[in-house]
Amino acid sequence: MEPSALGNVASLAYSLPEIVLGAAVVLLFLLDLVVTRKETLGDVALVTLALVVVLSARLLWGDSAALYNGAVVVDGFALFFKLLLALAAFATVWMSLGSREIQKNGTGEYWAVLLASTLGLLFMASSTNLLMAYLALEFVSLTSYVLSGFMRHSRRASEASLKYLIYGGVASGTMIYGMSWVYGLAGSLDFRAIHTALMSGQGAALPLYVALLLTLAGLGYKVAAFPFHMWAPDVYQGAPIPVTAFLAVGSKAAGFALMIRFFFTAMAQSVGAGVYQLVGGVDWSQLILVLSMVTMTFGNLAAVAQQGNVKRLLAYSSIAHAGYMLMGFAVLNDDGLRAMLFYLTVYYLMNLGAFVVVMLVANSTGREDLAGYRGLAWRGGALPAVAMAIFLFSLTGLPPLAGFVGKFYLFAAVVEKQLYLLAVVGVLNSVVSLVYYARIVRTMFLEQPTGGEGVVAVDWHNGLLLGLLTIGTLVLGVAWGPLIDFAGRSTHFLAY
Amino acid sequence: MNPYIALLISFALCAIVAGIMCGASWLLGPKVENKAKSEIFETGNPPLGSIRGIRFPVKFYLTAILFVVFDIEVVFMYPWAVVFRRLGWMGLGEMAVFVAVLAVGLAYVWRVGALEWD
Amino acid sequence: MYAALFYFIAGLTVIGALGVALSTNVVYSAMSLLAALVGASGLYVFLAADFVAVVQILVYVGGILILTLFAILLTHQIAEIQVSNRSVGRLPALGLVVLLGLAMGAAILRAPWHVEPLAAATPTTYGIGDSFLNQYLLPFELASVVLLTALVGAIVLSRKELRE
Repeated sequence: MEPSALGNVASLAYSLPEIVLGAAVVLLFLLDLVVTRKETLGDVALVTLALVVVLSARLLWGDSAALYNGAVVVDGFALFFKLLLALAAFATVWMSLGSREIQKNGTGEYWAVLLASTLGLLFMASSTNLLMAYLALEFVSLTSYVLSGFMRHSRRASEASLKYLIYGGVASGTMIYGMSWVYGLAGSLDFRAIHTALMSGQGAALPLYVALLLTLAGLGYKVAAFPFHMWAPDVYQGAPIPVTAFLAVGSKAAGFALMIRFFFTAMAQSVGAGVYQLVGGVDWSQLILVLSMVTMTFGNLAAVAQQGNVKRLLAYSSIAHAGYMLMGFAVLNDDGLRAMLFYLTVYYLMNLGAFVVVMLVANSTGREDLAGYRGLAWRGGALPAVAMAIFLFSLTGLPPLAGFVGKFYLFAAVVEKQLYLLAVVGVLNSVVSLVYYARIVRTMFLEQPTGGEGVVAVDWHNGLLLGLLTIGTLVLGVAWGPLIDFAGRSTHFLAY
Repeated sequence: MNPYIALLISFALCAIVAGIMCGASWLLGPKVENKAKSEIFETGNPPLGSIRGIRFPVKFYLTAILFVVFDIEVVFMYPWAVVFRRLGWMGLGEMAVFVAVLAVGLAYVWRVGALEWD
Repeated sequence: MYAALFYFIAGLTVIGALGVALSTNVVYSAMSLLAALVGASGLYVFLAADFVAVVQILVYVGGILILTLFAILLTHQIAEIQVSNRSVGRLPALGLVVLLGLAMGAAILRAPWHVEPLAAATPTTYGIGDSFLNQYLLPFELASVVLLTALVGAIVLSRKELRE
């Protein structure tokens, strides 16, 4: 009945994306020592990531399998996230190549560390073992600290890096303590074995609840959910813009991937027809439901109060979005998961797009505050201003944009499960979010430049990326069918 | 716990010897307190300012972290050496990958000059 | 004798940890950490994990602790901080910690812990080596990339200091 996991050598054929990425990390460290023109390294990273996307996509037509004696799996769910994460890294590298901040301060190591971080993200999305999951998560954290503290002569970046490190240390320490409880109760680190142990009645509700709560600290930290969000505003503000975008999209998605896989395969039981049941007597879906409501409300209210820095505002917005996505988690079925996967993809497009605009403004004027966006449309930045308006309205969830479709599926899943309170809180939050998103749009279009803001220019390199992300946001708003089908097919976990 | 009894005795002996040395000098030694004696020793000169103000150069930190990383590498190698005979070529290959990756680290450290003090 | 020794070592660990948290002088905190780490190593011996116990001393006491001391000596004026995030104060935090402590205490007492049968204390290194290179090969190889990145990251961040 239960096919066993593949051994180490047999697994190699299934892990080409990771092997290529790992080799590229090592290669880039070496190249950095001999190459003087550092943009070349960025090009190598870009090509590598394109290759990783292709290699991951190729696996979609292959079989699912448990690899390396059950450390990781390759299944529809993992591949969906691998594609998303590799694309996020691809866009980040593209952004970095056109970023003044990176050009001025970036060193050759930046590209290798960015790829190393991506490698960690891929493993986070496919881990089926607490040991592997922890190692991958720590790897991502470690690289993120370096990436956010990269800039020289920047007190802000050093502060961001340090705060990230300290919060991260506490969160991951709490998480591994929680994992030790899980191990103590179930007697195994393997998700499948934990599941089996819980099914056979090992473990009791209260200890399991404590264990999950502690484990959630580390995962909640990665997705920036309340109350583990404290790092996000400072780090988003202090880190270089492409790195902020990477953290907002990549880390968050991988955090969700690991969280979903752990909770759905170890702590829940599929009862057919895409519905899951809790095991071990712990009602974690209720817990997630509360977290979801608090997270989105906190994120939105804090964003409304935030007047100055646009990056900081987007940080609060990203906290709020973690709350929206947790809605799909709390409903405990495939519809919710499908909505989450779809929303993550849409979030990738629109949030990354917003950061590209922030970068364009910062490239030309060096400003990140809201006043720097005054009359953006009337001083050379008409294209980014229009694109920004599209991304922001999509983040709000207005039709006919991709964000609307994403939210529609999330709310549909919630209403179908008759979680009306959650749905009402979610809708109210979307309304509140319009306040601060529209404030940026108003500043860009309705206010006149006072003359001191400087001209914003768009070069073809960044313009192309911006165009692609805008088109994606528009197209998914009207033709979402193929993606939602793909997301629906990807909610399948390999039961080995 | 029998295999560890020797270790325990060794620890106990260490503690006793150290205790006697510190305790005896504390008990038997003459204690004369005066101002000059409680001053910070700076090769006979009067101390300049507080010692809290001094910052160590970051180079110390760099050396320490290099030590930790390669220390951990050796920790990983030790159990491999124990099972080496049984694993044969396969184990050698696996370890070769591990060491090769860290050799890149060593090359990097060398090339960027982190091994040089000045 | 066995129990007395256990409580001695456990006490050393806890007192060391308390010293780390409660000491007002950060250098004393670091030295208390020494007691906590050595104590933890002793606890590993009680669990018949000889290899881990030695590694604990070698890496944590010999490496990480020294690193911590350097880090403390490198920085100054740690107390001077700007608070950019609002907090609700110490009293709610204390309430939360007490609540969590009670819940954890109750949970620890009640939990049906998975108990491994007590085995004779045999050397564990062979088993660990075997696990590294068979069962857990992927985490093992990934660890090398993690170490490499940590190394480079530390150099990049501190070189930034050197240049300034």
